[in-house]
Amino acid sequence: MSQENTHRALSAEEVQALTAQGCTADDWSAVHVADPFETSRVRDVRFEGSVRVGSLAGTVTSASGLDRPCGIEEATLINCTIGDGVRIANVGSHIANYAIGNSACIEDVGVIQTNAGSMFGNGVEVEVLNEGGGREVSLFNEISSQFAHLLCMHRYRPKFIAKLEAIAKQAIDSAKSDTGTIGAGAKIAGVPRIIDVNIGEAATVWGASALVNGTILSSADAPTLIGDAVQAHDFIIGEASKVTQGAIVAKSFVGQGCQVGKQFSAEGSLFFANCEAFHGEACSIFAGPYTVTHHKSTLLIAGLFSFYNAGSGTNQSNHMYKLGPVHEGKMERGCKTGSFSYMMWPCRVGPFSVVLGKHTRTFDLSDFPFSHIEAAHDGRCMVVPGLNLSTVGTVRDGAKWPTRDRRKGSVKRDRLSFDVFSPLTVGRMINGSGRLKDLMDNTDKSVDTVTISGAQVKRVLLRGGIKYYRSGIHTYLLEKVVSRIEQAAEQGAGGLSKALAASSDAVYSEQWVDIGGQMMPRQRLEDLYAAVESGKIGDLTAFESALDSIHAAYTEDEWVWVRHAYKNVFGADLDAIQTADAASIADQLLADQSKFLNLILIDAGKEFSEATQTGFGQDGSDADRVADFLAVRGAFDGNKFIKQMKQAIEDLNTRIEKLKQTLAVCT
Amino acid sequence: MATVEERVKQVTGRLLKIDPASIKTGDNFGADLGAESIQSVELVASFEEEFGIEMDEDAALAVTTVGSAVEFITQVCNEQGVQI
Repeated sequence: MSQENTHRALSAEEVQALTAQGCTADDWSAVHVADPFETSRVRDVRFEGSVRVGSLAGTVTSASGLDRPCGIEEATLINCTIGDGVRIANVGSHIANYAIGNSACIEDVGVIQTNAGSMFGNGVEVEVLNEGGGREVSLFNEISSQFAHLLCMHRYRPKFIAKLEAIAKQAIDSAKSDTGTIGAGAKIAGVPRIIDVNIGEAATVWGASALVNGTILSSADAPTLIGDAVQAHDFIIGEASKVTQGAIVAKSFVGQGCQVGKQFSAEGSLFFANCEAFHGEACSIFAGPYTVTHHKSTLLIAGLFSFYNAGSGTNQSNHMYKLGPVHEGKMERGCKTGSFSYMMWPCRVGPFSVVLGKHTRTFDLSDFPFSHIEAAHDGRCMVVPGLNLSTVGTVRDGAKWPTRDRRKGSVKRDRLSFDVFSPLTVGRMINGSGRLKDLMDNTDKSVDTVTISGAQVKRVLLRGGIKYYRSGIHTYLLEKVVSRIEQAAEQGAGGLSKALAASSDAVYSEQWVDIGGQMMPRQRLEDLYAAVESGKIGDLTAFESALDSIHAAYTEDEWVWVRHAYKNVFGADLDAIQTADAASIADQLLADQSKFLNLILIDAGKEFSEATQTGFGQDGSDADRVADFLAVRGAFDGNKFIKQMKQAIEDLNTRIEKLKQTLAVCT
Repeated sequence: MATVEERVKQVTGRLLKIDPASIKTGDNFGADLGAESIQSVELVASFEEEFGIEMDEDAALAVTTVGSAVEFITQVCNEQGVQI
């Protein structure tokens, strides 16, 4: 934008020329321009109040991608500052109280107006999770998944919450302004109504129906798109997101890299990094990172989700026509719900579990991650603990999330821990395994099913659950230890104890927590509480910086946890490990992980079974069915994922052999 | 005492709600007897309990027919010193 002192008043000749081209002004002395200024580029413009116009030369790219001449045509501008190289054309009503950045292009709009004291969506209170209130999150531009999670979920720490609210208020207050902004390079076209909305750099707003009281965060390296027929009220939309195709967004936050469209309706909800929401509806949900709902008839309501995939027709209820919509549900990271699954809140589903059927009973399966949870005909919850641990879908999910991070800008607000196996999930497996063993040891063999936290388990499956969890626990711990041994082997003799030692800065907690997609030891959270409550952390910058530090410490904190867990599970102290022991640990990893990968292959093999071929070979013989299946789906051995799994087993063999050879040299 | 085959058919019939007498050794647990994914897991657990053995999940789930289950269980029983 032209510097303040480069603007000048119009000359009498310029006023005369502009007037001849249909321009009018309340007071021509309140209109200032920057050079080069060509009067021929300004036609049929009404100037009201103070208007500053930047240099108008050359062309600018429009929302449709065409290069159009810079200039101002058929518009009423009220108290606006307009940058260099801007095009404004065909403004039906007016643009009032805006600072418009360089190279912005605004065409065919109705009204764009900022009212005095606008907050641009900041300070909007969203009734997350509990429609009855009590977990309100006030929006502000810089809110992260972690901040929102703590503010929403940790109400049992009132002093901490009060301090967080004070921090949020600082950020909210700083957003207040009488002037809106349209950032440099922003493109706006075909929008009837934009009221009290800040639009960031390089954003494209094309064909939206109405945008009221909000902020569209956008940057040149992470441009944001608001598309056709979008209606957004009381909102903030993050960088690199796309809100398009008739989406309705009300009292909601859409974080970075999200996609909301195809008539999706979001109300009172928060969506964080890389969420996808199409066709369905969200009401009072906390959609943590990578929450995905793609299908019609899906209502997500009053729930906490992350790394979640909703099948079509997924639905929940948050009230029973008694005291109102006061129930909430928690689906921990990595869960999936099958088509037309239903849960009557409150329920709590452990990480990476699959929910099928219509559940009308309350259950809490947080200690049983990777479970298969299915409803019986009477709505009771039947669980197969750990069954989902070695399913091909879980493995594919774990691999795909990091590659699908759409946050392209330099600022990434949400901290994401992608690991499927972590102290959080493995810790839960340890807890769950213990509970299953207690049940198995104390249940008579004549009993068919046992109850566990509101769900039922077939007694014979207790044994299977323990085995699944043991496999997951062993594989994780051994993999972590062998990775460290490999580092030590590279360093030669004497490196083993150093590689297996814990960092003095690391923090240990038996329990880990998932704070809006960021995993950390419980003690780190306790320290954060204390720092905020004492005032040591008093502003948003310090708060977010503390979370960054915790995130940076993840690997070392995880390693301390692994050391403790390894001792508890295998009864061996890693400080006492010798080179010979290291070789046998490597062998154990090879055995356990090979079995684990084989289980995944068996699960993947079901996708090629005879039953899966049902429906193939239309109008043909059995041979045609097989041929059709091969033509469409391919053979088991030719499948990309199967090849990867088989390669992983080969690589593991090679890796362990190499490690053992290196260790032999070190001995 | 019932043979391994008879016991395998008894367990399978009970779990899948099929008359054990109608189960053939060549029957595929999935395609012929209709065992679903979870029932396969349940079958493995039930065989373990019936015979007092512990089977490798990956090897056990790779077994597809009643006859091969009989062979596999016999082998595991022998390896684990379980009288059959």
